[in-house]
Amino acid sequence: MGIIKKLPVYAEHVPGGGLVVTSINSVLTMSQAKSLWYLLFGTACCAIELMATGASRYDFDRLGMIFRASPRQADLMIVAGTITKKMAPRVKRLYDQMAQPRYVLAMGGCAIGGGPFYYDSYSVLKGIDLVIPVDVYVPGCPPRPEALLQGCLEVGKKIRTLKLDEWS
Amino acid sequence: MAEQLRTEEMILNMGPHHPSTHGVCRLILTLDGEVIKNCVPVVGYLHRAIEKMVENRTYAQCIPLMDRFEYVTSMSCDWAFCLAAEKLTEITVPERAEYLRVIMAELNRIASHLVFMGVTAMDLGALTPFLYGFREREMIMDLFEMTCGQRLTYNYIRIGGVSKDIPPEFIGQCRHFLDIFPGKIKDYEKLLLKNPIWIARNRGIGIITEQMAYDYAISGPNARASGVNFDLRKDDPYSIYNRFEFDIPVLNGCDCYDRYIVRLEEMRQAARIIRQALDQLPGGEIRAKVPLKFKPEIGELYSRIENSRGEMGVYLVSDGSTKPFRLRARGGSYNHLQAIPDIVRGLKIADMVAIFASLDIIMPEIDR
Amino acid sequence: MELNGVMTKQELIDHIKAHFPGPLEMIETKQPEPYFIVRPEDLVAFARFIHDDPQLQMNFLMSLAGVDTGQRCEVVYNVCSYPLKHRLLFKILLPRDNAEFDSVLSVWPAANWYEREVWELYGMNVRNHPNLTRFLLTDDWDEGNPMRKGWTGTDFITLPDRG
Repeated sequence: MGIIKKLPVYAEHVPGGGLVVTSINSVLTMSQAKSLWYLLFGTACCAIELMATGASRYDFDRLGMIFRASPRQADLMIVAGTITKKMAPRVKRLYDQMAQPRYVLAMGGCAIGGGPFYYDSYSVLKGIDLVIPVDVYVPGCPPRPEALLQGCLEVGKKIRTLKLDEWS
Repeated sequence: MAEQLRTEEMILNMGPHHPSTHGVCRLILTLDGEVIKNCVPVVGYLHRAIEKMVENRTYAQCIPLMDRFEYVTSMSCDWAFCLAAEKLTEITVPERAEYLRVIMAELNRIASHLVFMGVTAMDLGALTPFLYGFREREMIMDLFEMTCGQRLTYNYIRIGGVSKDIPPEFIGQCRHFLDIFPGKIKDYEKLLLKNPIWIARNRGIGIITEQMAYDYAISGPNARASGVNFDLRKDDPYSIYNRFEFDIPVLNGCDCYDRYIVRLEEMRQAARIIRQALDQLPGGEIRAKVPLKFKPEIGELYSRIENSRGEMGVYLVSDGSTKPFRLRARGGSYNHLQAIPDIVRGLKIADMVAIFASLDIIMPEIDR
Repeated sequence: MELNGVMTKQELIDHIKAHFPGPLEMIETKQPEPYFIVRPEDLVAFARFIHDDPQLQMNFLMSLAGVDTGQRCEVVYNVCSYPLKHRLLFKILLPRDNAEFDSVLSVWPAANWYEREVWELYGMNVRNHPNLTRFLLTDDWDEGNPMRKGWTGTDFITLPDRG
């Protein structure tokens, strides 16, 4: 039938109004991708760029993203800054406290793989993916706000490819 | 019924992840109701071992690490390190490089105070100064990006001078910024300073007496709001600061309100210095001749500059090789956080938030 | 460059040598502040002297650093005076094993965390310190004192030397 070939969204005018046919999967994933609330978790230099991305010139709010202080109310954790071995158990606990579906974005060189502190440091964790699963990596030291915005859009693209039974 | 009410003290843990501790600081508060009886700061969540790393890097490789020592004013951190290395070898920095260093450091001071203003107001619930401050800060970031390509950690001030010359459009754009900036400072003052809620939350809160400032070695705007008239740019001048005319704002209120006003006034004075430096900017070289494998003489010294958070000092020991033997970088926040238990005793938790924000503490200065 | 202090470098050196009773060693340097080596047992007395003397008034402790030179350990103090604006650098020399020194908290309360850090990262014991506990390292750290020369530990990768 013609309607099924045109999914995920099929719209047509009918007498008296309009008709939109879609799947529950695409409604849920699209609404989640357009409205990611992120956890305000910045430890070091990348936190200042995260704040600048949320400020007036590069606005996060136009993508539907707003910061939340509590992990229970957040979908996305942007790990911005160096994570040390002393801080790693706390990051894991924050990740466990987030409600599913939850996503993680590793921002900056330090969160991806230790960054400039890889050599000769006895206390830096060499990458946050040793502790929690990461969805998107945004490189840079610190990454530009435009790069961070693209990273968040990539998280949205990844969400839209998920099926209902794959959320975790 | 009354004898069944338990009124013992409660231990509350604030941090390390908390929206109003700037960075990762953990405060263990002992509370009696809402009143704080004792406060123990626990630090080390951002200890990246910069002092150990520096012992295995050449002098030029240390400068990006010193950037990350205090990333909000990374020009000043580079400058402190380069001053120490240059004093050990007695290199003469060319005139144009000195002027460029002063211009960049003062622009960085304005940017840092704008972050302070935004974040302090946001902690107490006012979101508008954050957006206003970061709008002006983006103009300064444009100037830096035009010069050295980076927005936050610049790696611009090198041993012997600076790394790149300013492009021709820098001066025009900088003068345009300086023309509109005093009007913006008036806007910031109109936003908050006469607001009764702001006054109630900041006046008389967080008193640092002059004796406390001496005991805990508190420096920078925090000390100047307590009546201590000490600014390294006038009292122990480095570089060419003795060629500029500027005032040092000193107030006597000792509370959070005066610390806010001192920083707003410092932004005005920094704009004044930049204008004079742009008028006097000479031509010439931007970097002295420094050998590729830079080896200073054997010796040790302590050099310090006036950072936007206080005194930034570098104690450098050199053994004549291409790598520093020992580097102890000292930031102002290290001493300010030590004084917090004494300042906070007897106040409420909401006051704790206001005090922590007004002291302008950055965690990597403490943890390195 | 010369400091804006009330007394010049030579006047400071003469005044300290004339008025402090214990033995002091002075090192000549090109820097504008005097450089003294003090005996570890005279440390608190020297600190009290330069803090209280009305012509010195060194009430601002700028920095306290521990150094491991390979043959011995040192603790270096940088002080300056808020009202009179002159500076001083002095240090104490300690053996590498079982290094111990007295705390100067009674003179400068700002020395609290500086001494704690020296204890933790270098392993030098501080007598009369109220709170020698874990400071910058993880709570279950058991790999020694990282800032000593030649220290290695788990997960410690050094930058390869490319000459």
